[in-house]
Amino acid sequence: MAEVTKGTRVQQPVIVKRKMLSTKSNLHGWLFASPWIIGLLVFFAFPLIASIYFSFTSYSILQPGEFVGSKNYQDLFKDDLFWTSIYNTIYFTIIFVPLGIIFGVSLAMLLNMKIKGMGIYRTIFFLPTLVPHVALAVLWMWLLNPGFGLVNGLLDVVGLQGPNWLGSEAWSKPSLILMSLWGIGQSVIIYLAGLNDIPEEFYEAAEVDGANWWQKTRHVTLPLLTPVIFFNLVMGAIGAFQQFTLPYTMTQGQGTPANSLTFYVMHLYDNAFKFFRMGYASAMAWILFIIIMSLTALIFMTSNRWVHYQGK
Amino acid sequence: MKIRGKKVGIFILALFLIFSLVLTACSPEESSSGGKEGTTEITFWHDATDIGLQALKKMVEAFEEKNPDIKVKMVYTEASEGADQKLLTAVAGGNPPDVALFDRFKVGSWAAQDALTDLTDMAAEDGITEDIYYPYAWEEANYKGKLYGLPYTTDSRMLYYNKDHFKAAGLDPENPPKTTQELEAAAEKLTKKNGNRFKQIGFIPWYGQGWLYGWGWSFGGEFYNKETGEVTANDPKIVEALTWMADVAQKFDVEDIAGFESSAGSGAMDPFISGQISMKVDGNWAISAIEKYKPDLNYGVTPIPTPTGTDFTTWSGGHAVIIPKGAKNVEAAWEFVKFFGTEEGQEVYFAELPGDLSVIPTVNEKLGRSDNPMLKKFIDILPNSHSRPVITEGQLMWNELVDARENTVRGKGTAQENLDKATKAVNKALEKYK
Amino acid sequence: MEPKVKIKLQKGFSHVGLIIASAFFIVPFIWMVSTSLKPLTQVFSFPPEWIPKPFQWSNYLDAMEYIPFFTYLDNTMVITLLSTFGVVLSCPLVAYSFAKLEWKGRNVLFFITIAVMMIPGQVTMIPLFLIFNKIGWVGTNLPLIVPSFFGVPFYIFLLRQFFLGLPDTLRDAAKIDGASEFRIYWQIMLPLAKPAVLAVGLFQFMASWTDFIGPLLYLTDETQYTLSLGLQQFQTQMGTEWGLMMAVSTMMTVPIIILFFFLQKTFIKGIKFSGIK
Repeated sequence: MAEVTKGTRVQQPVIVKRKMLSTKSNLHGWLFASPWIIGLLVFFAFPLIASIYFSFTSYSILQPGEFVGSKNYQDLFKDDLFWTSIYNTIYFTIIFVPLGIIFGVSLAMLLNMKIKGMGIYRTIFFLPTLVPHVALAVLWMWLLNPGFGLVNGLLDVVGLQGPNWLGSEAWSKPSLILMSLWGIGQSVIIYLAGLNDIPEEFYEAAEVDGANWWQKTRHVTLPLLTPVIFFNLVMGAIGAFQQFTLPYTMTQGQGTPANSLTFYVMHLYDNAFKFFRMGYASAMAWILFIIIMSLTALIFMTSNRWVHYQGK
Repeated sequence: MKIRGKKVGIFILALFLIFSLVLTACSPEESSSGGKEGTTEITFWHDATDIGLQALKKMVEAFEEKNPDIKVKMVYTEASEGADQKLLTAVAGGNPPDVALFDRFKVGSWAAQDALTDLTDMAAEDGITEDIYYPYAWEEANYKGKLYGLPYTTDSRMLYYNKDHFKAAGLDPENPPKTTQELEAAAEKLTKKNGNRFKQIGFIPWYGQGWLYGWGWSFGGEFYNKETGEVTANDPKIVEALTWMADVAQKFDVEDIAGFESSAGSGAMDPFISGQISMKVDGNWAISAIEKYKPDLNYGVTPIPTPTGTDFTTWSGGHAVIIPKGAKNVEAAWEFVKFFGTEEGQEVYFAELPGDLSVIPTVNEKLGRSDNPMLKKFIDILPNSHSRPVITEGQLMWNELVDARENTVRGKGTAQENLDKATKAVNKALEKYK
Repeated sequence: MEPKVKIKLQKGFSHVGLIIASAFFIVPFIWMVSTSLKPLTQVFSFPPEWIPKPFQWSNYLDAMEYIPFFTYLDNTMVITLLSTFGVVLSCPLVAYSFAKLEWKGRNVLFFITIAVMMIPGQVTMIPLFLIFNKIGWVGTNLPLIVPSFFGVPFYIFLLRQFFLGLPDTLRDAAKIDGASEFRIYWQIMLPLAKPAVLAVGLFQFMASWTDFIGPLLYLTDETQYTLSLGLQQFQTQMGTEWGLMMAVSTMMTVPIIILFFFLQKTFIKGIKFSGIK
């Protein structure tokens, strides 16, 4: 943690009058942040501390349970489904997050062009995020149906035989990744907002230097978009590790086929609310915390090498 | 837009002002129990919509007419996981409804968590005994000799088959399979495959309501040993059942079946209704669905085949009406539970739902349920029906059985290995309640 | 090649690319609208049909009668508007302090902000419920509104990234002119971050508009229910009333589409700074 903290400090714009970090400046900082400090104390502190405590007990929501020491944590390592769910979750995260960034940035750049009807295009790309999850799940089962689904139908046209998608252990996770890529509208908006923060002057300057499209992208757009990419990387990883609603709805909580869609939080949810093992589920939550924390720390540590803030 | 807010303080002040405004604007209504003088209001959480809701309303009206001093406030709470979560948090917060509808299957685990009010004494006082109910239904509402709810609905499972498909395949539509061998042979004749896609699939053992519970019982197995208090999912008969299911899966290629299954759903989407599957195990509610979506479907129902072609059985689930622990008006709530859980309320309720079955045989008789020749078969088998063991780890057991089935049919371990594992896992979890 | 021709050609290609990609993204929406107009028996007809026949407009009226649509709409509006307002008010303020102000404990608090997002809500849900239960807010819409006035970590992090991207020169200049810290924030920095703030507002609007588990847990009276709880009511014992459900979904989606369509223009216009080189 200490190193991570140092990492961000490096990124901060070095204020000219460093010595001015006075009581006044402290006061302003705290005042501005005060709503969130109150929010943290009131709405987050107790639930989080409680869940740490629960993770050492046999708490069942309805019964306080007993203090069991590290038993929940030990049991976890012997739980086959726990390992399956970790595997599935990491598989999903490793593939989905980078793909999401590549597609997201490309789409945003495409949608940032100055051509007619852009408002309509942007709206269309945003549409899938608006369709309710229940409907999305059914729609995808329909599209990916190996017999009459649209996707295999299109593959047939080009002479490929499509797989069984959601019915196949090998293809179920790629199917889910495909579905999730559909819903990247939200990160595209963030990229779009980021693109618009890049001052025109930079491009003009690059053009004066005779830069072509690729050079402009490589040396102006991407570097200046890094604060936003950084955000989407961190949040994408946190979100991917907590993947829950879509696979849970789609498989009625079973993670079929053969647990290939049982994700970490699905297993956690079943333990917490179906098996009355909230203590165990809390232990799972904190192990997840450690995993995501290490990953995020890694991202933060490398960030000052590749994230560029214009504010400097 | 340009507010001349010079000081941060003013802003913070404004923030809190707005906040307090919001607070007063949406302040909670005064606690609702009480109502008019002399009447008690009970809150009743249910998951009914559509015709189910109409039936429930009729029943509530009848109750209120009979008990003018009690008013029932109905609150819809979603139908599946969401409802459980809502009830669970409400009980944990000490703020539950007075009455709720509840899957009987979960009575054991919730009762063990002390989340349900013990109704034993009240039932005894009012002379409500198991005599009026189907035995399995009463059993499912009890945990460790205590009563935690009154059952109201039940169901059973049978083999549905498409008569037109039978004719086309040269099978006798009036003589459906009785043994599992006959079933397998018929399935083969009915299956039409085109590459790895099914044009028509004869039978998938686990499709619809073909849970391992059902097949285990049909093969003569037992899932629970009451004396030792341990589950016996690795009973040789159950292993046999699962091995048979896996054999069928191999025969038709399990991945292709799964591809087919992944697109199948309920309602009008049901592949039996659309004619994609020729035989399926399903519950009595499927009759109403067929009537609704494809009334001209030419189909029949028959008991689920067994290895010997005799000793047909099935299994039943259903709901109970319960009083959560911490309910404010237990006495009034019990009056309601009693009304709904016995003949009087049941008659009003089920009169509105012609496709559903009561847990009280006399009510089914009185409402003429057996007049419907299809439904009659489901009723006739009820006395031989099974219900899932009332154990604290019912849900775990369920999930483990689903996993064991899924892994075995996909060739990940044998039936014996997977069922041994499931049995061990559930028994280990059961230990902590001993 | 003439530069004009080149640009035209480029634009032409872009349109083709965009249209192909759009076709992929518009599928769920088309499906939703088409289903909302189908009779139930046609919803899953085999093979699938995209065009309803006949167009069953009555689904919309039936759906509005099936659930108390306008009551739910009112309730959803109150929760959504207030919580969006709360987020837009609190999050930029906090984010600004993380990005541009120097104060003791800032980095630690920032890391706590990120860290709290790493614990799945499923385990904090119960203790949080107990807090709201203790202060008597269960059964009201307050738990769905008030927390947003105190900041949401996701948005704080997002806005911090944007504030970090804004140049300090403006701030320093205003400081030399003697502007107060709050005034710098309100009159200079906040307007510069407008696209991001609008995006955050939109996200919260959507999140609140479609939230299911929050209203389910905290609302205890049907007269307080929201549209997303209403959607669930189309799942009946006999399967889902897809036509009606999608009719309500469509009606729920259209306001957001309109909102989005108008907001996205602010992304195009963006803010162009001058004087930074």
